[in-house]
Amino acid sequence: MAKILYIEDIQDNITLVEKIVTSRGHEFLYAKNAEQGLELAFNSTPDLILLDLGLPDADGQTLSVWLRGNPALENIPIIVLTAWPEEVVQHTVEAYNLNGYLCKPFNMRDLLQIIDKTLGAKAL
Amino acid sequence: MTIELIPAERFSMQELTELYNQTRVDYLVPMPMNADRLAEYVHDFDIDLAHSCVARTTDGQPLGLSMLGVRREKAWITRLGVLPASRRTGAGSALMDFMFAGATSLGLKETDLEVIKNNTPAYNLFLSKGFTETSEYLVMRRAPHPITNPLQGIVSWLKFDEALAILQSYPHHITWINAYESMRNSPDFEGLRIELPNGGAGWLVYRNTKYTLRSTLSHLIIHTEHGNPQEVGAQLLLNLHNHYPHHDTYAENIFQGDPHLSAFKILGYFANFSRIEMRRPFTV
Repeated sequence: MAKILYIEDIQDNITLVEKIVTSRGHEFLYAKNAEQGLELAFNSTPDLILLDLGLPDADGQTLSVWLRGNPALENIPIIVLTAWPEEVVQHTVEAYNLNGYLCKPFNMRDLLQIIDKTLGAKAL
Repeated sequence: MTIELIPAERFSMQELTELYNQTRVDYLVPMPMNADRLAEYVHDFDIDLAHSCVARTTDGQPLGLSMLGVRREKAWITRLGVLPASRRTGAGSALMDFMFAGATSLGLKETDLEVIKNNTPAYNLFLSKGFTETSEYLVMRRAPHPITNPLQGIVSWLKFDEALAILQSYPHHITWINAYESMRNSPDFEGLRIELPNGGAGWLVYRNTKYTLRSTLSHLIIHTEHGNPQEVGAQLLLNLHNHYPHHDTYAENIFQGDPHLSAFKILGYFANFSRIEMRRPFTV
């Protein structure tokens, strides 16, 4: 099982993703802004980060630069969960060297699939 | 439904932030804020909270808000939003009427605003209120990555006062957020000027915002004084990103017809979304 950090400012989305992630037995952590997310990533070293692009202090792209710029965190896979247009998200994932994306609205199966694919053996 | 319109100055920054974020929750590009960022926005863009407005029901339920920037004889409408459940109730129209009345009382001549392209309900509201399109702008991003292209030319780095002085010479229209006054209000404004071996010359000004942990470049404006804009623009951007190799970059409101667009693309910028600028004179 894996430790998964979700960085997202909307509580309804956090509640939904928490249900999905914990149903598979993963440990679930969340932060509601970029600075808390960075701090929690430092302190807990998650196996995977699920990242919203629209955050109230610094957006998801900027946060991903902070995460990727730190040697202790640079290899943690990051999956973007966003309602942004898919074409923009594709560019973002490629340019910011992220590991994948899921466009909202998504269902439980889609989220679990991308988590399993990204985590590989750690998902078991 | 009876709508009450209350000047935004009667609310705390935290209350305004929470309301603003609720209005944007389902937007194409939500761009939520925290109270510090909204306070910075109010300061940098000369938002007049006395003439900005919160709409609510008579029993105190918030419906939406809108803000009015004021500079000399011009106004700028921004942050306009209505809660998803309160749309099509006339709240957006009432908010705009409040700001028109305020702008008229201040003797302002015209107002600008920007709407995200494909936000059709907002666009139609603005059309119905007498706005017409002026230009279309791109909002672009660039992730930090190493510069491999050769650098050319003689570069002079411009401090705050020098960057402001050179921006005053810009011969084209600039949207509100990139205008001289916005940069003057921002302590992190700087720039560079370049002279190329072939006689090309130009400048680039920008904000270098220091977050707690890392800085971000934004509000870029490029001008070519002599030579090929693509070549001058590319060398300005190459020097900028070589100087700040770890900075994330956010270039807002780059005119669709800007001759430096190809330079941005060469440097790895990609479009996030487009904004349409609209204008309404108050004499109509």
